[in-house]
Amino acid sequence: MESSDHTKVAILGAGRGGRALLDLLNQIPSIEIVGIADRNPAAPGLQRARELQVPVTTNTPDLISNHGVSLIMDVTGDPEMETYLRAHKPPTADILSGSASRLLWELAQHESKLAAELLQSEKLAGIGSFAAGIAHDMNNPLQLILGLAENLAEERDLTVVHEQARDIIEAVKQTSAICRDLTRYSRRASPHEDVLVSVNGKLDEALKIARYASSFHDIEMIKHYQPGAAVKGNPDELLHALVNLITNAVHAMEDVGGTLTIETTVLGGEVGVRISDTGCGIAPDKIPEIFEPFFTTKAPGKGTGLGLYNVKTIVNNMQGTIAVDSQIDKGTTFILTFPNAEPAGQGCLS
Amino acid sequence: MDEFKSGFFVGGEACEGRVLVVDDEPDIRKVVKMTLQKAGYEVLEAENGEKAIEVINSGENRLLLDVVICDIRMPKINGAEAVAYFRSHYPRVPLIVLTGFPDADMATSFLRQGVVDYLVKPVEGEKLRSAVARAIEQRELARL
Repeated sequence: MESSDHTKVAILGAGRGGRALLDLLNQIPSIEIVGIADRNPAAPGLQRARELQVPVTTNTPDLISNHGVSLIMDVTGDPEMETYLRAHKPPTADILSGSASRLLWELAQHESKLAAELLQSEKLAGIGSFAAGIAHDMNNPLQLILGLAENLAEERDLTVVHEQARDIIEAVKQTSAICRDLTRYSRRASPHEDVLVSVNGKLDEALKIARYASSFHDIEMIKHYQPGAAVKGNPDELLHALVNLITNAVHAMEDVGGTLTIETTVLGGEVGVRISDTGCGIAPDKIPEIFEPFFTTKAPGKGTGLGLYNVKTIVNNMQGTIAVDSQIDKGTTFILTFPNAEPAGQGCLS
Repeated sequence: MDEFKSGFFVGGEACEGRVLVVDDEPDIRKVVKMTLQKAGYEVLEAENGEKAIEVINSGENRLLLDVVICDIRMPKINGAEAVAYFRSHYPRVPLIVLTGFPDADMATSFLRQGVVDYLVKPVEGEKLRSAVARAIEQRELARL
């Protein structure tokens, strides 16, 4: 269908610049990317374009003569390209090249850095609320270690000595696992690290992290995992999104308790993730706002208002969608849908 | 002054007092029990506030319980709720809070409610035993 208000863009050059532009423009609904060209068939932008289902070609003349191209963006860095384009472009198309396209590329880079910064700050702000959970989970094994060690100093029964020494070793492992999980979680997501990720593995990892953020006491857990649910994306970012969703679900059931249900499905070309709680629910008039930045129902200082906004950004970066189904006092379900990545068995990251 | 001691006899051994340990972690109950038993206390256990209330309301415990040591972050009835219940129903039983998360506001609020001690895990055996001994001493003084 023709839509005249869309800007139809052809990108020339699929190196780092082309790829960054592709990612940026792809997020803007009023821009349609008609194709991307590069002489090098292995250029990173071409690979990315295939994932985004943007037409790719190694033939520049073909692309620019495409019907209806309204803007040609040249990020090849090739001075001859500019001359060529002036001579051969369709009369209705504008050209962005040379320093103008470089400026745009720099802005795109800057924007993607800011977006990463925002994700990281919101994640770190969230970790601030883990203090009580971390203290609880570290000080309990430490109490055990201290108590056993005090006893061992006087214990004469060798069987008891052996048993308690083993208990101490277990408690130390348990404590160090907390530090390992948290340092891994707090690190900055590495940029453009799109790999095959096992959704079930990430959900379990997210559950471990979310336990620091909120008390799972009085929460019944139900898990229905479809084996082999795999998606393509940045594993650190996916973990961050899942931690946010699980934490929200548990917070919605705070004080009264309830059931947290996590389900994954693989249906045809799609991987689905459902995270449901039986908590307070979201008022119907608030639902359209929940993915907006700075929307929060939490008390000042308790939430950044960026949690769900970032979840949506992350899910969309992975070519996924997010939907919500909620009823006041009944509960809320978040439904994530991703394109099914290659089936498991190709070195799935967990 | 012997007549003011709460000491009684359990299984033929002198007992310094009866202590209820409320914590959802079995490891903590185990190690606290071990520490206090060495000093001659009889130790009862409860895994959450709800169970603790059951224990104190059963049989002779309501008369013979000398100290309650209570965690805060627990399922069912949490520590703060349990403390409030104990203070209103059993104001004579001294309470010691033993928590993994030091929180000054919470500590102040507990002490205001009449909690005799606020200890942070990990606590040394000696410190725990002397807190319990002090609590029992205060209880005895209150009885006078």
